[in-house]
Amino acid sequence: MTTLVAAERELAAPQAPPAGRRKGSGMNRKPRFAIAVTVAFFVLLYLPIFAVVLFSFNTKKSLTVFEGWSLRWYQAFFNDSELTKSLQTSLVVAAAAMVGSVVIGVLLAFGLVRARSRLGGAANVIMLIPLITPEIVTGVASLMLFKGVGLQPSLTTLMLAQTTFSISYVTVILRARVAELNPEVEEAAMDLGANRFQALRLVTLPVMWPAIMSAAILIFTIVFDDFVLAFFTSGVDPQPLSVRIYSAIRFGIQPSINAVGTLMLVGSLVLIAIALLIPRLFGRRGNSFDLFGG
Amino acid sequence: MTHESLPPRPARKERLWTWMLVPGTAWMSVFFVSALLLLIALSFGTTDALGNPRFGSTLDNVIGVFTPTYLRVIIRSLTYAVAASVICLVIAYPVAYAIARHGGRYKNALVALLVVPFFANYLVRMYGWQTLLSDESMLMTWLRHLGVSASFHILDTGAAVIGGLVYGYVVFMILPIYASLERMDGALIEAGRDLYGSSLRTFFTVTVPASRAGAYAGLALVFLPAMGDFISSQLLGGPDNLMVGNLIQEKFFAGQNWPLGAALTMALMVLLLICMFAYLRQTARDAKEARR
Repeated sequence: MTTLVAAERELAAPQAPPAGRRKGSGMNRKPRFAIAVTVAFFVLLYLPIFAVVLFSFNTKKSLTVFEGWSLRWYQAFFNDSELTKSLQTSLVVAAAAMVGSVVIGVLLAFGLVRARSRLGGAANVIMLIPLITPEIVTGVASLMLFKGVGLQPSLTTLMLAQTTFSISYVTVILRARVAELNPEVEEAAMDLGANRFQALRLVTLPVMWPAIMSAAILIFTIVFDDFVLAFFTSGVDPQPLSVRIYSAIRFGIQPSINAVGTLMLVGSLVLIAIALLIPRLFGRRGNSFDLFGG
Repeated sequence: MTHESLPPRPARKERLWTWMLVPGTAWMSVFFVSALLLLIALSFGTTDALGNPRFGSTLDNVIGVFTPTYLRVIIRSLTYAVAASVICLVIAYPVAYAIARHGGRYKNALVALLVVPFFANYLVRMYGWQTLLSDESMLMTWLRHLGVSASFHILDTGAAVIGGLVYGYVVFMILPIYASLERMDGALIEAGRDLYGSSLRTFFTVTVPASRAGAYAGLALVFLPAMGDFISSQLLGGPDNLMVGNLIQEKFFAGQNWPLGAALTMALMVLLLICMFAYLRQTARDAKEARR
């Protein structure tokens, strides 16, 4: 346990000194160009989001002129039973895909790092293909598979497809974390009388937990927001929110889309905040942004 | 608990880790690999009188991909995706560099700020640009006041599509470059300067090689989804700037010609595999050189 913590400190440490030394050494002067590009980049990054949020509070139906503040588009959203049902569908699908992919992904991550068998190589390839496959190909292929075995597009097909897609993501994130683990710590636990499963549960899992939670939250938001795969594998009736937004955008201006978009953004922000807080809650130094495997 | 229990352990351990691979491998084989195989099979298929897909052994669909109309769209997609990847790289370096080396204690906050828009729905973000760039929007009216001619449009151009792709995927470029720059020892840059390298020269001889792996990862992470994207072209590009994704989508929904759609999807996949192969060879070569 101590070696792990020490290793983590060591990883995190090199960031600290340059910041403090900057003033004294002339070598570390600020690159004006890079900073100017960064500022411009952030402005452009937030411009459309700002527009969406602003117009979600517009009194008028216009998306070009802002007239005054109102909450009518939010009311419109919550009074629209179709839209709230879509929201529910998206949440259920994201939760199902999250649970399924994290359970399978944790096992895969350990297996890929530690197994020394031929299956390891095959699993590695199979797990990586979805990541180098554009989503539209995954979507089309899944649609064919489900049609081929006689499954009509529905909530089930949507969940299956999203779980499949998520497994690769979760595995890649967690595998990096598993590779960082020091197996000697587990060996030590076993020398002290723990069996393999106790060592995993009592020693390794607590260290892995923050990474697992971060991966889970990340995959939840990705699935919740996902459009392409949902578009190809969902049916007409329980339609996920993103697909409904898509049809709304195609069939003319609807300011309630702005309200939905704003709500989705706020939801994601809350989740990211939780993901960021997790390392602290679990008593580790909350130094790294662990969403991408730390 | 000491000597007798030690020898059997490695063997048991080995089997446990292998067993852990089974559920994931089985799941991916059933839901992903078989789906891809079905896709390959159907690209040689036909449709019956009702438009339902039927398996077959015709090469019509594969040949159909090479008709000038489709070929033009494929080449356009390739151009857009390459352009978007290059632009992302050019944007990502200064941004990642500024945050990693000069972010100070705001570093994590800036990374969070960078990732937040990525969690806003992709469709909604594109829709935001669509409203911003439409001819009667505030932004365009303002640009006209600044003296931009009335015939200047951004929406419904190829540039808008490329811009949309850059906007959608640039985070994937910044994060890996940021990660490798952050891991890099700042003393290296100082050493470069101590040896009288100019800032620019130090950047290209020290910083860029140190972060090459991150840049390669970023290029792959941007290029792949950009090639398959159909939202940016649909919402920002108008009818004249369609990409392969739009064609595929049309064949599966509006056109109901699944075999041709499957063949087009295959074409996209093969194209990407060629790029990925070149990419993997390059990174393997780099890794070998680094070890030397």
